[in-house]
Amino acid sequence: MAVKFFGQFLVEKGIVSREAILAAMELQEQKNLKLGAMAVAMGYLTTADINRAHKAQFSKDMKLGELLVASGALNAQQLREIITRQKEAHLFIGEALVLVGTLTGRQLQQCLDEFKLDQAPYVSDRVELPAAVANAKTWEMVVDLTYKMVTRILGLQFKAEKGRSVSRLETNYMMAALDLSGDLQGRYLLSVSAGAQKMVARAMLKEESVEHEAAVILEDSVMEFINVVCGNVAAKASQTGEAVNINPPVTIHPPAAGLPVPPGHTALCFPIHVGEGEKMELLLVIPGVSLRQ
Amino acid sequence: MKRVLVVDDSLTVARQLEKIINDSGDLICIGLAKNGVEAIKMNHMETPDIICMDMNMPGMDGLTALRSLVALDKNVKVVMVTSLGGVGDKFSEALKLGAKNVISKPFEAEDILGTLRKL
Repeated sequence: MAVKFFGQFLVEKGIVSREAILAAMELQEQKNLKLGAMAVAMGYLTTADINRAHKAQFSKDMKLGELLVASGALNAQQLREIITRQKEAHLFIGEALVLVGTLTGRQLQQCLDEFKLDQAPYVSDRVELPAAVANAKTWEMVVDLTYKMVTRILGLQFKAEKGRSVSRLETNYMMAALDLSGDLQGRYLLSVSAGAQKMVARAMLKEESVEHEAAVILEDSVMEFINVVCGNVAAKASQTGEAVNINPPVTIHPPAAGLPVPPGHTALCFPIHVGEGEKMELLLVIPGVSLRQ
Repeated sequence: MKRVLVVDDSLTVARQLEKIINDSGDLICIGLAKNGVEAIKMNHMETPDIICMDMNMPGMDGLTALRSLVALDKNVKVVMVTSLGGVGDKFSEALKLGAKNVISKPFEAEDILGTLRKL
C-alpha cells in the first residue's frame, strides 16, 4: 500500500529472506562501482586523484563529478562516459538475487509483475506548479503523491483546485507541518478545518466515529498522515537518486490573520475540496523567490 | 504468547499497532514507548520478545535505538515499521544493523501479524 523499492517489497511480502537480500545487496556493493572507482577502473584517474577530490569536497559544496571536471581532472566527455558505463554495468537487486541463487529468472519476472501491480497506484501523474521553484519536478511529485494518498489512505473523494502562489498562509482550524531537507528543501504543511480533521482521524484510526476522541489524538492523526505522505515522498525521490530527509511532524495553530511567508521563500497553495464547507489545503513553503508569480 | 513492545511517537500508530497485536489472539502488546531512549529502557525492564519500532522519531530516532539495542543484545528481534521503508538506504541500513524486517507505512494488519508471527 506504500511506495516501495523492489527489494523491500520482496522481504516485506516474505518472498525472499532477510539473509538473501543482504547477500544480494553485498553483491551489488561489490559490482556497482561508485563514480570515483569507475573513473579509476576506466583508467582516467588514480586512487590518489579521487582521495584529493574527496578532501576538496569538505570545503566545496559540489558533487564529485562536478568537482573533478571543475578542477580539470576530468573533461566533460570523460565524465559522461563514466556515468554511461555506470548505468550500463548497474546490477539491479532482482538480478543480484538471481546471481546469488535466491530466485530463478522466471520467478524474478513473476515478482516484478506483482511489484508493478502493487506500485501502480503510485505511478506519477503530471501536476502543474503555479510558480517556478527549484526542484520543480520533485515538488510536482509531492503534490501528486499527496492527492494519491488522500484517496488511498484517507479514502476521500475530493476535487483538487489548481495551485496558486500565496503571500500569506490563510488561517484554518489546525495545520500539521513537516520539514524536508537534503536534496529537497522546504516545509510541507497540511491545513485542515475541524470537519476535515475528523475525516483524517477516522481514516487514520480506522474508526467509524471520532466524536469522543481527545483533541491530541485528532491532531496526531493529521501529523501522522503527513508523516506517511512525506516518508513515501522520500521513497519515491530515492528512486531517482535524490536523498530526501524528513523531520518529525509538528502541529501549528495559526492565528486568525494566518501566517506570513518567510522572506526569501515562495509559498504554494493547493486547495483540496473534501466536502461542503470543509477546507483542506496542501501548502509548500520553498526557499528561493519564484521566477514568475 | 509473544510479548511485543511498540515504539512510535505517533499516538495514532501506537494505538493502531496495539489493537492489531492485542486482537491477534497469539500476541500481546506489553508497552508503548515514544522514542528510542524509552525503547531501550522498556526493553531492559520488560524484556519483550519482539520490538516494533518507527524510524522517524524526535529525540533518539529508530535506527540509533536499533544500533544500541543490538549492541546490548545481538539476539534482539526488532521490526521497523516506518514511512521511510521504501527508501533504499534506510531499508538496507536497518537490515544491516540487525532489524528482522522493515514494514512500510501505511500498513495492513496482515503485514504486521504475518511478520511478527514468523519471528
